[in-house]
Amino acid sequence: MGRIPLSYLTNRVFTLFLTVFVAATLIWIIPRLSPIDPIDVMLGRMAAGGGTIENSEAILQQLRESFGLDQPLIVQYFLYIVNSFTLDFGLSTASFPTPVSSMIGYALPWTLGLMFISLIITFVIGNLLGALMVWEHTPRLWKVAIPAAMVFTSIPPILSGLLLMYVFSTQLRWLPLSGPYGLNVEPGWTFAFINSVLYHGFLPAMSIVVVTFGFWALGMRGLMITVQGEDYTTLAKAKGLKPRYILYRYMIRNAILPQITAFALKIGLLVAGQVLVERIFAYPGMGKLLYDAILTQDYPVIQGVSFVIILMTAIAVFLVDLIYPLIDPRIRHGG
Amino acid sequence: MTVLDLRNVSIDFPTSKGVVHAVTDVSLSVGKGRRVGFIGESGSGKTTTALSAMRMLASPGFVAGGEILLNSLEKPNLLDLSDDDMRQVRLSRISYIPQGAMNSLNPVMRIAHQIWDGIVAHEGALPQGDLQSRSDAALAGVGLDPEVVGDLYPHELSGGMKQRVCIAIGVCLNPDLIIADEPTSALDVITQRHVMQTLRDVQSEIGAGLILIGHDMGLMAQSVDEIAVLKKGQLVEFGPVRQIIERPEHPYTKELISSVPLVGGKSFLEPAGEETATGFRSENGEPLLELRQVSKHYGAVTALHPMNFTLDGEVPKIISIVGQSGSGKSTLGSLMLGFNAPSTGEVRFKGRDINRQSGAEALSFRKEVQAVFQDPYACFNPFYRVNHALKYPFERFGLSEGPDHTQTAMVEACRAVGLAPETVLGRYPHQLSGGQRQRLIVARALMLSPKLLIADEPVSMVDASLRATILKNIHDLKDRHGISILYITHDLATAFHVSDYVMVLYKGHIVEAGPPKDVIGDPEHAYTQLLIASIPWPDLDRDWGSSKDARQGLEALDRLDGHETIMRGNIPGFELVQG
Repeated sequence: MGRIPLSYLTNRVFTLFLTVFVAATLIWIIPRLSPIDPIDVMLGRMAAGGGTIENSEAILQQLRESFGLDQPLIVQYFLYIVNSFTLDFGLSTASFPTPVSSMIGYALPWTLGLMFISLIITFVIGNLLGALMVWEHTPRLWKVAIPAAMVFTSIPPILSGLLLMYVFSTQLRWLPLSGPYGLNVEPGWTFAFINSVLYHGFLPAMSIVVVTFGFWALGMRGLMITVQGEDYTTLAKAKGLKPRYILYRYMIRNAILPQITAFALKIGLLVAGQVLVERIFAYPGMGKLLYDAILTQDYPVIQGVSFVIILMTAIAVFLVDLIYPLIDPRIRHGG
Repeated sequence: MTVLDLRNVSIDFPTSKGVVHAVTDVSLSVGKGRRVGFIGESGSGKTTTALSAMRMLASPGFVAGGEILLNSLEKPNLLDLSDDDMRQVRLSRISYIPQGAMNSLNPVMRIAHQIWDGIVAHEGALPQGDLQSRSDAALAGVGLDPEVVGDLYPHELSGGMKQRVCIAIGVCLNPDLIIADEPTSALDVITQRHVMQTLRDVQSEIGAGLILIGHDMGLMAQSVDEIAVLKKGQLVEFGPVRQIIERPEHPYTKELISSVPLVGGKSFLEPAGEETATGFRSENGEPLLELRQVSKHYGAVTALHPMNFTLDGEVPKIISIVGQSGSGKSTLGSLMLGFNAPSTGEVRFKGRDINRQSGAEALSFRKEVQAVFQDPYACFNPFYRVNHALKYPFERFGLSEGPDHTQTAMVEACRAVGLAPETVLGRYPHQLSGGQRQRLIVARALMLSPKLLIADEPVSMVDASLRATILKNIHDLKDRHGISILYITHDLATAFHVSDYVMVLYKGHIVEAGPPKDVIGDPEHAYTQLLIASIPWPDLDRDWGSSKDARQGLEALDRLDGHETIMRGNIPGFELVQG
């Protein structure tokens, strides 16, 4: 442990930037391999809306200029990279002329809030249940119930969402059906608003938790079985330690380490959201944004969302690299 | 006065194929301050018997009959205690020192904390200062510096230090009884002596009874007062150590004693037969194996200093490389196998640098140089039947003339290492014992008719009673099949018997080399002398030294600078050149 060597830090920061740069380049190249011209798509959409268009050539030219498509490819690429790193992803083609960054700026907090909370709940519940599946002092009823609960893992989130909606909204009327907050509250940092957000977020979060906790539980179960067979667990018992103390300080403490790496990778992915969950609950998050952008071939938005996903993953991995020696003393920051 | 009484204890393991009687009707007592050794091969029930006193039998085992009495308790029968009362007994009354010193400590907790949590579990939360002074005293008691060691994590300690931490934990609450389960099996002889004597010292200081579990009769003879011999879950002989060692009654006890190879003792090898096979015939005058200025560095650490030797292979020889862990002997082995490239110098096989070979040459090198490794459990792919391990290289090297020929070759190879083919072929690795697996590894190597075999600690993980047999198999390879062998080991007694030439390695230098009867029989270098003095002999009149000797021996080693090799004579066909 101790202080992080500067050489290690610069090395990791360099890797972080390199990863994001390479990924950003790929994001830029792939849509350009597609034969579809986004301007044609826009024009088609306009045509469908407003009949004939005068000066269509001039408009097309104007549009190409505003998207920078009249520049040589290399200039386009260079501008794209510079803009991306300043989080400027240009204008949306589908909701022209809204800047992509403001669309992401609106959607990101919803997704982060929903997904981060459900990820943490899932991580805690999943790992705890996985650990209890192995622990020798788990009540017998739990040992039967936990594997049975794994059935939920095999249900697609969209179905579990519908099921939960049916039970809790339609039948019991305990929770609202959809939307991020109630129509009767003003967005802002008020108690009523936050309360409404939590109230509305409960069901989508639940539908994610019930289908994903099995991933953590099964992973944890395997790790716990290994730890249970370790000599230090045997010695802990021989030391007359209390069973619960052994469970937390000896077994889970060691078994959780690989799960933390997996957690970091999930943080990046969760920005993409559970597309279908956001969809059925009409939740205005990144998943829904991406879904709509794909449907309307809105390339700037697709690129922007992909970039944010990669940035989040790279940052999460970077942070885990930095904190890992704090949680596992065997790992040291190499020079 | 007795501390622990086992009365007619039987332990059963119900399995799907019926009940396995792991221990049957064992009765014995451990007196206050007395040391009792449980000896037997793996599966004899010695650990199971001892663990039953901790009530820590592996599931689904249970005590099917008898009584286990811990006489310091008001109600002495341990089997009647509630789970929480039993938990209180552990460590405070009966403590356990586990076998795998390497992994016995929680890797994410500092050493001092691992002593504290044991104390807190029995005495409740104590002020920090009290805990600190208790752990300091415990660590100092086993010869570790509490200031330094207490704040370290387990991975920062050596194996011997970890085992001494386990002893410190075991004695910190002054228990009535200590159960030590092969506490030194993973350690080399020098460290073993040090750890064993530390254990003996702290045990006599607190006056606890000690149960020492092991399979090494020599270690037992030097460490305990009474010996209990177990075989297949039954107590076949129990008595004072002198009686057991000098006048064993049960044939199994006699076998255990005689299976310990002794330096200078009677050889366990049969006299060489008439059929001495011819060795390697050099085509171009180049020797079989030659090392030229070979050294190896890992970063700033030098694992091996420049080394030069030539093995011509014409008359097959067994060359032993002995040393304790970290001496560089396994590094040398992997360099000769071409798994690692040397930092300087060349490893030459039949006159070619093995790290600069063409594809075809590399293939023939792989066929002609075979290896036997330490761990017979990890050498097989658990998903394949053992035939696969034998058959695959044989076919891949193009030695097979068809399925029938492969089958015959496998059967012959099994017979050559003393295995009945019908009992091993077609089975999965987990269905075989460690000894059977290790012999199959030798058989596998034999099928390829190699010219050179590199055996890295081939018998250190198998039971003492089987070691002699496997070494006999390896020795036969030399006489019957003309294979030269490099035998890498920490066990001087076996090296004494099987080898033609011995090189003693210490910190990457060869400190002494020559024929075994000189090097091991009459060592000159201080390191070799310490190695020999550290061997526990199954002979009560031979002094194993005190813990002070052991510590001083270790300290003296640090002051040594062994750059000069003491040459003790040559043998034809092998030449070591001063580096």
